[in-house]
This record gives sequence, structure tokens and C-alpha cells, in this order.
Amino acid sequence: MAVNRLFVANRGEIALRILRTARRMGIETVIGVSDADRDALPAQYADRAVVLGPAQATRSYLDVNLVLQAAKSTGCDALHPGYGFLSEKPELSRRCDEEGITFVGPRPETIEQLGDKLSARAIARAAHVPTVPGTDHITSVRDAQRAAEELGYPVVMKASAGGGGKGMFLARSPEDLATNYDRASREALASFGDGTLYMERYVEAARHVEVQIVGDGMGEVVHFGDRDCSVQRRYQKLIEEAQVTAMPPTLRDKLREAAVRLTAFANYRSAGTCEFLYDMAREDFYFIEVNSRIQVEHPVSEEITGHDLIARQLSVAAGQGIGVAQQDVAFNGHAIEIRINAEDPVAGFAPSPGRVTAWEPPAGPGIRIDSHMRADDIIPPFYDSMVGKLIVRGDSRETAIDRMLQAIRDFRLEGPKTTLPLAAQIIDHPDFRTNQFSTRWLEDKVLPAFLKE
Amino acid sequence: MPLKPSDIEALVELFDASGWDELHLEIDGEELLLSSDSRAGVRAAPATATAAPVAAPVATSAPVAAATADAGAPSATSARPASWVPIAAPNLGTFYRAPAPDAPPYVSVGATVTPETEVCLIEVMKLFTTVRAGISGIVREVTAQDGEMVEYGAELLWIEPT
Repeated sequence: MAVNRLFVANRGEIALRILRTARRMGIETVIGVSDADRDALPAQYADRAVVLGPAQATRSYLDVNLVLQAAKSTGCDALHPGYGFLSEKPELSRRCDEEGITFVGPRPETIEQLGDKLSARAIARAAHVPTVPGTDHITSVRDAQRAAEELGYPVVMKASAGGGGKGMFLARSPEDLATNYDRASREALASFGDGTLYMERYVEAARHVEVQIVGDGMGEVVHFGDRDCSVQRRYQKLIEEAQVTAMPPTLRDKLREAAVRLTAFANYRSAGTCEFLYDMAREDFYFIEVNSRIQVEHPVSEEITGHDLIARQLSVAAGQGIGVAQQDVAFNGHAIEIRINAEDPVAGFAPSPGRVTAWEPPAGPGIRIDSHMRADDIIPPFYDSMVGKLIVRGDSRETAIDRMLQAIRDFRLEGPKTTLPLAAQIIDHPDFRTNQFSTRWLEDKVLPAFLKE
Repeated sequence: MPLKPSDIEALVELFDASGWDELHLEIDGEELLLSSDSRAGVRAAPATATAAPVAAPVATSAPVAAATADAGAPSATSARPASWVPIAAPNLGTFYRAPAPDAPPYVSVGATVTPETEVCLIEVMKLFTTVRAGISGIVREVTAQDGEMVEYGAELLWIEPT
């Protein structure tokens, strides 16, 4: 089961991030790229790069057959899917098994069970992990209205098969349900091929908290602490922190225990994240979902624990177990990550692709850049707009905030419009400094003020 | 050369599928305007973008590890007339010259082809796609190796147009 040659089925910063750890571990690397990425840094950094297809993701990064063919033809014995693209498609994990390629991620059954939110909730309940009070499948407006009477308004409707806000809406009255139900169901059907919705009680003031875990696939799970990702716009995270400081420490311990209990129950293999909603008023947390992949924000956990999570994934994939015991995971300081998206916040976050004319990232103790960009590189318009992540670590949250502000000021990035100026404004906001905000804060308070300036 | 013809093709496809009204892209002074409004074309399609070199993309220049299989490197024919046109691989896959192991090849050097003539197969995980010439002419060279992996855009055969 040793991993000798790894195929990276992704692009951008995460591809480079995976390639670097693999090389450090003495593993040969091959990356499959699209035509638009053939000159990008990951393609140059890998021992070998093969061009799968044209720029369109459906004919390159999202084509399971092409990816498998490339991995086989280049003699790879393992495949890392990164995040996004095919990373949470059970089909890729299953087909890898069939072809004798080690999938660096969970088993197909696990991805299926945890990928469907209703079955994930069932697993959570079986593992005695609290979930938001809610319903099973809802198939009509009348069903929805009846259920909402029992749960109490406001409620939120969500797509059973989906994520990313598709098919999701908030209802404060029976009329809200009647108005939005059909559209949301259609949207879920169009996005995920399944129009089924379910309902949850809506927590008015919530924090998004999550726990990073790595499992060996045989019931052993180690957690690498928690993260707070409450700065969100339309359910997309912009800023992430580790550890969570908005919860009492004893409650935070319970959060971690719950995540370990749930994933151990599922015999989880590889890296994953248990996401929870923290109800600020009730001081209680509810399980939301498991992301069965490495996540964008994994570096903040690496920064405070000193452990390389990609290395842990590759260790599990090679049949060598997690390689770290829980007592070896210590937490030092506070880390913050901001996502640098090539988007124009002033123009409704419209993508801003094109050539990066200047790229001079900050450097110094406690500063980390995860990015594949170089000066003169082009941000192709075909994919996600994230061009990198800026991560800082400080002894305390306060020093981390100051370090981040200085790092953003030192960052010289010219060409596309980016979210860097907005990130600086968020980080420097009194509410952020005092840690008094919810998942609604960015959209309700910060963005309107930012746009007015 | 920030925008290649293939990029523009891909953008048009993306645009068609998007339901957007307009897409305006500017890279290094090259402008591309895609619009669903037929009257919007006044300043669209700048000559710089469409006049990008149509010559064959130089494929398979990616680094190859010593330990990995050779990707059917094109035979270095330096004296290839400029009029010859390559048939490029539509995606990564295994190149086959014949429809079956014991069958004669689809075409050989010297064969006359029309746009509809089948010239080879590309296999991806047991799924076989027939590649057609797309042009009328005479087969002058078969650059890809039978049974070897080819990448997207790799030159498979060269045709002298007639």
C-alpha cells in the first residue's frame, strides 16, 4: 500500500500545497491539468504534468474517466483529489479502488453517507452528537408549514443533497414558505438532481465552528483542534481562525469530543471536518455536516499544532496510520487565514480574472502564504476566483490580528481586483477585535459600510 | 499570448451555458466582448485576439520524470512544410491507429482523407472516441505512437491540405 507516485487531481494553491508535502516525503508526483493551467506553477513544480483536456472543467478536472486514465497511464499508485472538483464524489473514490489506486480520502460509502445531509444527521444522532432540531424529507408547502408550527419560526429550508446555499431559504412565516418553496425545490433539483428539501430551526445569532479530524479508517480518530469560520458571505467563508475563542473552553472540549465520536463511529478515513453551528444565545452547539476532504482553511490548524495535515493524509493512505497520537497534538497561539479572491467587492463580488502584474507577498515570522501565483501569471476565468491564502500566527488573537493587518498592508498585488482591502477592513473592525459577531455580521453590517465608502 | 484560440472557444462555450447577458474580458490590452445582444458587436472581437497564432500548439512540453513512461514524443521532423496541418488529440487518452488490434490502421501515410474520414481512436477508461480528419488532404505523417498515452492538444497526424 506504499505510496510511490501520487497523482494530483486538482489545480491552484491546493495542488501546489499537496505536491510540496509529497515531494518532502519522497513521493514522485504527477499532476493532471487543463489546457489553461499547462504553464501554471503546479504544472511546473510536479515531476510530471499531463494535459487532460481543454480549459472547461467538465472536460478536464471534472471528468472522472480522464483523471483515472491519466493516473493509470502515468503509473501512479495513489490519487489526491484536493478540495472542490471531484473531491467529494463517491464515484472517484470507488473507481480508484477498482483500478488499484489508493484514494487519498474517505471510502466511497463514507462520502455517500456523510455527503447526504439527512443520513449524516442520522449518523450524528446514532453517535449521540446533537443536531439542530429539524425534520426529515419535506415534499410539499403544506408539510413545511405544519413542521414549522412545531419547530417554531424562523426556520431554514435546505436541499437534502446539496450545499453552498443552493435551494436554501429562510422563512419567518407560513407565507414565506409558500412564496419560496417551489423555487428552492427547483433550484435543488437543477443543482443536485434531487429536489428534496428538509427543514431546521433557524438560529438567529450563530457562529460557524468546526473540528479538524484525521481518521485511520479503522475507528481511530485524532482531532487537530477547532476553527471559527463565522465571517461569511452567502455561506462562503472569507476568514477563518484557530482556535475557537468565542466559546467557553469546557464547551469547546465537548465540541471536539463530539467530532471525534461521530467520525470514529463512521470509521472515517483520512482528513475531514465536522461543522457545527454554535448558538450564541443558548451556548449550545449543533452538528451541521462533515466535509469529507481537506479544506481550504486547514492551514490555521497546521499553524497552531505544527502538524502537516496533508502528510497525515498520505500516512493514512500508505497504510501507516495517522502517525500522531492525540497527546502529541498541542495548541500554541492563534492563527488567522484570509482568502484572497480575485473579485471586486464593490461590483457585487464579480470575478476579476486577468494578469497579475505585481505579486509581492509579505514575509516574516508567523506569516504564511499558500498560493500558486507569480508575477505575470494569469488568473484564468474558468475556475474558482481564489488566488491564494494569507495565514498569520501570533501568541494571542490580538497579536495575530495586528500581524495580519501589517501583512495585508505589505502585500503588493496588482492587476486584478481582490478581496484584500475588504479583509483588512473586517479584521480591523471593533466587533472583530472584541469577537462580538455572528455569521450574519459581514453581510448585515460590514459590507454595507464598506460599500458606502 | 494571453488568450489562445482554444481559450476563446472555451469562453464562448462557458458564456453560452451561463445565461449571462454580457461578458467583457480584458487581458494585457486584448479585449473580448461576448454578448447575447446581436447589436452589441460594434467593438467586439478585436483583431488581436482572433489573430492569435493558429499554428499548432506545442504540446507535450511538460516535464517528464525519468521514471515515468514516455508520452510518445513527436519525431523531430524539422523539415515539415508550413502548409501541413496537425490533427490534435481532443483530450488525454490512449492513441490507437486501428479499430481493433488485428485490423489494418484507419489511415497510413499517403492516404487521402476528407473531413469525415476516421483517422484514429482515443481511448479513455475503455471508452473509445473516433477522431475524424476535419479537413481534406493527404496524410503525410503519423506522429503519435500506437497504444501510447497522448495528452490534450498533442499532434497525432499531419495532413497536407488539398
